[in-house]
Amino acid sequence: MRRRLHPAAALFMGLCALVLALPILVVMAAALNGGRTMLFPPEDPTLARFAEFFAGDPVWRDALWNSGLIAVSSAVLATALAWPIAYLVWQGGSGLSKALAAAGAMPFALPPIVFGVGLGFLWAFTAGLGTLWAGILSHAALFLALPLVTISVGLQSIDRAHLDAAATMGATESVMLRTIVWPQTIPYTVSGLFFVMVLSFNEFIVMFFVSASAFTTVTLQIFNSLRNGFTPTMAVAAILFVSVSITAFALVARWGDLPRLMGAEPEHD
Amino acid sequence: MSDESLPAPRAGAPGPGARIGGGTLLQVGLAVLLAFLCLAPFALIVAISFGEKVQGAAWIWSVDPGNYARVFVGALWPEEFSGLYLQRLWYSVLYATLGAVLAVATAFPFTWFLTRTGRRAQTIWLVFLLSSVSVSEVFVVMGWDILLSNRSGLPMVARETGLTDWLKAVGWFDTLRGWGLANPRDLKFKTSATATVLTMTYLVWPYAVILLYPPLSRLDPALTEAARTMGARPATVIRTVVLPVLRLPLLGAVMFLFVYLLGVYVTVSVFAAPSQQTLAVSIYDAVRGATLDAPFGAAQSVVLLAVAALCLWFGQRLGGRGA
Repeated sequence: MRRRLHPAAALFMGLCALVLALPILVVMAAALNGGRTMLFPPEDPTLARFAEFFAGDPVWRDALWNSGLIAVSSAVLATALAWPIAYLVWQGGSGLSKALAAAGAMPFALPPIVFGVGLGFLWAFTAGLGTLWAGILSHAALFLALPLVTISVGLQSIDRAHLDAAATMGATESVMLRTIVWPQTIPYTVSGLFFVMVLSFNEFIVMFFVSASAFTTVTLQIFNSLRNGFTPTMAVAAILFVSVSITAFALVARWGDLPRLMGAEPEHD
Repeated sequence: MSDESLPAPRAGAPGPGARIGGGTLLQVGLAVLLAFLCLAPFALIVAISFGEKVQGAAWIWSVDPGNYARVFVGALWPEEFSGLYLQRLWYSVLYATLGAVLAVATAFPFTWFLTRTGRRAQTIWLVFLLSSVSVSEVFVVMGWDILLSNRSGLPMVARETGLTDWLKAVGWFDTLRGWGLANPRDLKFKTSATATVLTMTYLVWPYAVILLYPPLSRLDPALTEAARTMGARPATVIRTVVLPVLRLPLLGAVMFLFVYLLGVYVTVSVFAAPSQQTLAVSIYDAVRGATLDAPFGAAQSVVLLAVAALCLWFGQRLGGRGA
């Protein structure tokens, strides 16, 4: 399947990539503006906005800290919850474990604004509204579907013959889990973790309802200033976010088989 | 909440079994947690949608269907009919349908070519696509806002390059004005339904590629090769072999993206004219924004949820029949 693309096809793909990158490139270029307004092409280019974002304004520093904390914690939590569910379903699964997988995938499959409104009500009744831990739990629930999928893909890729061989030689389930299942699913587990981390970092609407303006994240902070016009400092946040995403997914691609993870056939060569 | 009598999950698992207690306990614990985090929010929305607003932004539990009546026929029914919220629902469905169909229609050829490249190139493209899909809606809106803004974006480019004058000369400018894409002097994209739909398409486009990637890359090459050897042109092969085989994944992708786009808020609030905004915007206004009427916001959420569930159910049925 390694033949050259038709030039028109390559051109079409390039055009798609250009349109895809265009708005983000414009935002990034706007970060170089010397003045306070967002102009494109940038006027009086400077890197002062970067210093402002990372070291200067405490509003942005706090928002960045909250974004990072929520992203990392909810990613760990979602992965930890998804693992046993995916494992139980893979084992042949009772009705309950399948129901668990369905329930876990539901928030991601429905319009996020509705889930956000519902979580807002839930946390209002349980004194969680506006707390960081409620934010972490909310994102873990919203993105649970992602590690569920990646870990399931990983479990399905395990050769049953290995398990049969181990069982014949008298390995218990916990020994097999530790020596066969776990090592082979590590790349898929880590991928799921990274997916949640990146999406949580970028998520807006659910966090808006859950935070109730008691804390801000970077995306919330940017939305707050949306109506008052953009500032070049916000564009620095965009650069940071895109860099984090590219790094995370490049790491996934480096240690795992990304085409396989996204659903292509395993490579035969 | 959970069924204690369920047998432990052993069906396909090899190895000796004596771990029933621990496994069931784990499942029950997970069931309680997921019921709280993933199901309770939706249940609360349904329950609160029957509540009643009282003076001063608060509300009480009730079994009042009035909020639904307000969505479908207006608060003053039967004296007066108001289709305001039905109109918002219409725009939700319209934008989401157009956005989803456009995204899948343009992502399909892209994904087709993508699966025809080498494994390494595919990996690089996938990193690019995943990074782009995870870019926050607020950044996307910010980027398009600059690109479409009247002072420094595409309208300015069109003016400086003479495109605007050319359009005026050939008379197409008035057509664009008719579509709401120009003011008397310049091109104008904000606010317009076009900008809203295009930004929505942009938002889900990488998702569309990611959804179409598995079925396209698993497509049996023998299928297309057979058609080619019998002398069919590539376009004919796509039309008569590939598209019919892939109609279910294509439809599934449209439906998934449609459901996602139903809830888009930032894009609509920035790019759509106030009279053309969606249910997501009025849900936001009712729950956290200007009007503060949580039960009414919940009722609108339930309506949106019902549309989404209907769509997913329909997709499931089609998928079940196809398999």
